[in-house]
Amino acid sequence: MNDDRDHAPAQGFTEPELDRLSAFVDGELPEAERQYVAERLASDACAAGIVEHYRAQRAALRALFADPAAQTSGPFVVLRIRPPWWRQAALALGSMAAGAALAWLAGAAPPLGTPLSPPTAAFARQADLAYAAYAPERTHVVEVAATNERMLVDWLSKRLDRPLAVPSLEEYGYAFLGGRLLPGPAAQFMYQGSDGHRLALYVSAAAQRESALRLLRRGDRRTFYWASERTAYALSGDLPQDKLREIAVDVCGDLGGHPELWK
Amino acid sequence: MSFEADVVAWLPQLRRYARALTRDPAWADDLVQDTAERALTHVRAFRPDSNLRAWLLTILRHIYLDQLRAHREITLDDEHGPWQSLEAPAGQVDSLVLRDVQRMLYRLPLEQREVLLLVCVEELSYQEASSVLGVPLGTVMSRVSRAREQMRLMLAECSPQRTPTLHAVTNRK
Repeated sequence: MNDDRDHAPAQGFTEPELDRLSAFVDGELPEAERQYVAERLASDACAAGIVEHYRAQRAALRALFADPAAQTSGPFVVLRIRPPWWRQAALALGSMAAGAALAWLAGAAPPLGTPLSPPTAAFARQADLAYAAYAPERTHVVEVAATNERMLVDWLSKRLDRPLAVPSLEEYGYAFLGGRLLPGPAAQFMYQGSDGHRLALYVSAAAQRESALRLLRRGDRRTFYWASERTAYALSGDLPQDKLREIAVDVCGDLGGHPELWK
Repeated sequence: MSFEADVVAWLPQLRRYARALTRDPAWADDLVQDTAERALTHVRAFRPDSNLRAWLLTILRHIYLDQLRAHREITLDDEHGPWQSLEAPAGQVDSLVLRDVQRMLYRLPLEQREVLLLVCVEELSYQEASSVLGVPLGTVMSRVSRAREQMRLMLAECSPQRTPTLHAVTNRK
């Protein structure tokens, strides 16, 4: 499959150069090279355009296949475990036979008649899925790191067409890691505690001006969500519910909302 | 967590990858079933200190390639494949039309598509992708790069302006 090599690479770029731009997008370059590429991008609009395109491709691919749990065909999958016959004989004696079927509950399949009013329930599910998808990531937990907070906030504010702010959760021991743009469009801000636990604040446009605080539960995950000034917010984490609620109340207040109305 | 529970926890990701790879939900479900089955019956082949997800993806890929070989009539890179007629999600991400991106993804050679999905969607490091694909790290790097450049050229061709240096991020509206 060498047909790709028949195409001339982008004008003025050698294959090694394109490899480097691509690896730059993936955060796979050693620091010195990364620095070199970053400097080149600042002065070379053509290279910057390619990098931007590669990033857009990645965002598009993620959007296409974003939510693993949302892609389940039914409420659960039964895993058939068919050991080979020679092991079945052994297993008949042993302990593993009991594990012959595992049911996997699909986190995303909502029970029928979920008693939450749309569209905010859908919003909360998106937030929960985005948390489930990105909080466990080790290498790409955010698209833009907290070190570029201003750039990140400007970029996401522009995309969401509203002024965004990153509330500080330092007093709860959570450091801001950075954020990413998600389909919707929506913004996700990620935080991490000293124990490695992560919280995500998910932000998108809302139909309502103001709403009460609501809770969505999925497995161990909790998502508190609300609307304020026609912006919907969701705070997701796998903390104890009371603790997460306390943080949500603070976040709402910090962002100019009125959590006192929730009491 | 038990080994079984660890495997089960990765199933949604495996299914996402299988669907992206095959563009066929039923086939993808079978692949995930077979992968989980093989993993759970070959526990001892797994080194506890190694990367379970990479191991599972490797198994899935081997099963997929076996099935591809067994079904020679399925030519994945066929422009008239079943995914061409599937409803593609509409919508734009940073001015790239998802429908176009999806169509081009399935025009890529398999070796480019799989590495692009592993790195971009599954967010594997080059190191992890290299172990899943069984190729050197440098090959992962150049394949991802070839795939991206190929996509870029194809997308430029299908965009109405036919601008070879498509500026992907523009202001919407």
